[in-house]
Amino acid sequence: MYSIVSTAIVCGIRSVLIQVEADVCDGMPAFEMVGVLSSEVKEAKERIRAAIRNSGIRLAPKKITVNLYPADIRKSGTVFDLPIALAILAAYGRIPQEYLDNILFAGEISLNGEIRPTQGVLPMVLAAQEAGKKVVCVPRDNIREAQIVKGVTILPGDNLNQVTELIETFFDEPGTFMAGRPDTNIEENGENTQNADSDFASIHGQKILKRACEIAASGRHNMLMLGSPGAGKTMAARAVSTILPPLTEEEALELARVYSVMGMFGQRETNFRQRPYRSPHHTISLAGMAGGGTVPKPGEISLAHKGVLFLDELTEFAKPVLEVLRQPLEEQEIRLVRKSGTYFYPADIMLIAAMNPCNCGYFPDRNRCTCSSAMIERHLNKISRPLLDRMDICVEVSRPRLQELIAKQPEERSAQIRKRVQRTQHVQRERFAGTGILYNSRIPASAVENWCVMEPEGEELMHESFERLKLTARGYYRVLRVARTIADMEEAEKIGYSHVCESLLYRSIDRKVWEWE
Amino acid sequence: MREKQAAYNRYEYWLASLVALSGRKKIYLRTVFADAKGLYHASPQTLERICVLTEREQQAIQAAQGRSEEELEGQLEYCVQNGIHLAVWGQEDYPARLEHIYNPPYALFYRGDCPQSARSAIGIVGARNCTHYGKAVAEQIGKELALAGVRVISGMAAGIDGAAQRGALLGRGSTCAVLGCGVDVCYPAGNRKLYEQLVEEGCVLSEYPPHTRPLAVNFPQRNRIISGLSDGVLVVEAREKSGSLITADFALEQGKELYAVPGRISDLSSQGTNRLIRQGAGIFLNMEDFLQEMHIFTKTEENSSTKKKIVLENSERLVYSCLDLTPRNLEELLSETGLGLGALMKALETLRNMGIVTEIYKNYYVRSGISI
Repeated sequence: MYSIVSTAIVCGIRSVLIQVEADVCDGMPAFEMVGVLSSEVKEAKERIRAAIRNSGIRLAPKKITVNLYPADIRKSGTVFDLPIALAILAAYGRIPQEYLDNILFAGEISLNGEIRPTQGVLPMVLAAQEAGKKVVCVPRDNIREAQIVKGVTILPGDNLNQVTELIETFFDEPGTFMAGRPDTNIEENGENTQNADSDFASIHGQKILKRACEIAASGRHNMLMLGSPGAGKTMAARAVSTILPPLTEEEALELARVYSVMGMFGQRETNFRQRPYRSPHHTISLAGMAGGGTVPKPGEISLAHKGVLFLDELTEFAKPVLEVLRQPLEEQEIRLVRKSGTYFYPADIMLIAAMNPCNCGYFPDRNRCTCSSAMIERHLNKISRPLLDRMDICVEVSRPRLQELIAKQPEERSAQIRKRVQRTQHVQRERFAGTGILYNSRIPASAVENWCVMEPEGEELMHESFERLKLTARGYYRVLRVARTIADMEEAEKIGYSHVCESLLYRSIDRKVWEWE
Repeated sequence: MREKQAAYNRYEYWLASLVALSGRKKIYLRTVFADAKGLYHASPQTLERICVLTEREQQAIQAAQGRSEEELEGQLEYCVQNGIHLAVWGQEDYPARLEHIYNPPYALFYRGDCPQSARSAIGIVGARNCTHYGKAVAEQIGKELALAGVRVISGMAAGIDGAAQRGALLGRGSTCAVLGCGVDVCYPAGNRKLYEQLVEEGCVLSEYPPHTRPLAVNFPQRNRIISGLSDGVLVVEAREKSGSLITADFALEQGKELYAVPGRISDLSSQGTNRLIRQGAGIFLNMEDFLQEMHIFTKTEENSSTKKKIVLENSERLVYSCLDLTPRNLEELLSETGLGLGALMKALETLRNMGIVTEIYKNYYVRSGISI
């Protein structure tokens, strides 16, 4: 007998539907599986045989053939266990084929027939929805990510026997199963999960730093912090993620896909709308940062999609790891080309980096810093110009002074700052309406002149600075974009003198090293 | 040029580039052999009879005798092409001041104008890792000395040395750099611009032959030439253990005046200079006193920089008063002036525009310029 079951495979953060066919006929008892399978799919044979037997189902020895198509996609992963097992049972006539139609199955099976959680469930459910399948059966542990998708009925699978019963009941009375999310609080709590530790209120003094953080967050500018150890760079970076407005539904879903592919959906579950904050250690590998593997998994830049990627001790990162950031910073996605195909992962990040000004970290305090200028230059040369060119805001962070620490003046809370950031972002959205641009930092160089209109005094200062600071064209536009954000914070239509003035304050460090020589 | 080159021949060049022997011994040998040619052709037996030569030195001479005359000729050609001159002991262009020091160099390779004795000369030395303050002081002293017609001698090193010479060039004065490497080698590489300017407008000299790499052992020795060429040595900034103190020792040994710029007792980079003062070095307080004590009488009295009156607004004056030569960062200025960020930025921008404030490092500001 012949049977067919639908399942899906993850490609990047998208998913492609796969059909599992099974045929059982008389002949020499055998179990053959075809359809360009990777080793973990081939191993499914043994798991399924044991799982069926241990579920108390006795199958007569016959020749079993299983085919997975389309055949031009290499099948990897463990989601095929459940659909293959069901296809075989249907081919033996243990389950009527009509029970299986229009349901998408995914899940790994253990030897005792239990269904184990798997990765990439969210993209699969979305693919099912796009393909018009209204019902999806996934492992019970993955049910929360599947429930995010609206208009799809989710059947939670515990074990093989339970699934066969479940689909039977569903076939008989589909009305008893609610479509959609029974549990809606998953996306409501974007705000209340911030812990007090990373609130801006816990940073005392540091007015310039806070101001720079607010500007960076408002225009989604990349930011570089320079400063001695213990100045509070890490704390500030963490705090930036708390003043970013919550994700939109669409953004949150896209981000959840990435986490689902990594099997890390649990991290998004309780803070679905909150922007991610990732701070990988500086020993991270190229694959860890950009994504990698023969079938590439997303890396840190994709896990920080729509949020903050914080690189502490920037100079300690391996050079290739930093250089790989250049293309995603421009294109907001990363393209990984492998033999098996080209994979796209989203990487729309706000990069925040921190570094010491020299090896010992105390420059320019010559009483503590003993680094020679050659050493300092070597230290800085670890970061390439193209990467520095992508940092819109650069700010110096000095250690807070004792008076500020003990003064305990009430500082502004993140929630208040976030309100201002939201308003500034709203101003930007209204101005860019219909252009696809969302933030000032994303204004293309060709359109800077259109969007960044200056008052005469501002323009004069800008021209004078261009000559004096020997700005590059890229540097010039960067100063203008930041000035635009500062102007937007005051809801000023044109960029004025003071906006340019402040923007120049945050301009990136020059080629001329520290202007010390 | 050619005539000048004719003054020394390939044998002089050969002896000058024989680094294994001290200048003193070379001068002695030349009197023994009448000229360098005699030594070049001397047999091992003859060398053995000269009792001042150690066995090692004899071997070094013999090894050097292996250099063919064609090769030496080629080296001379290289010198001519690159404008490198050779001033040999006893000849006209050899600086007279060096004749009186212990272990004078046998010959000096130089580019530019070799410093002659007529002018008074001051050596300015100091730490490579100096503070911005030290640098500003060195530059100003260099400039004012140049304006007073005094030659500035230094080592073209990073930090104080370079700053002093830059200042001297700013004052359109004469300045001379004594290198620890060949005169065709620019060390440190970061001073390329200064080096080129010195070759054009001043002088770069060295007792080491062209192509010599900047070896660490060369530098203490070149310090004796810095002090030797000067009437007095001024140490601007030096830590407790600093190469500049070697120059100070040489200066005392050679009977030159020694001055030091005092610093705060807590500043690491002034501990060496403060100690010199404690040991009896002269204290540099201002240019007028210094020149007087050095018996240098300025040719042009009125050139002491005419003070410009600058009118500042209230907030600008406030900001300016909070700044000095030690870098202050924005955060400190913000809390010290009590101004808002906007007002502070505007004030800084105006001050910077006037050229009286510089941002020397990301968000660190200093007054640019100092009066001494």
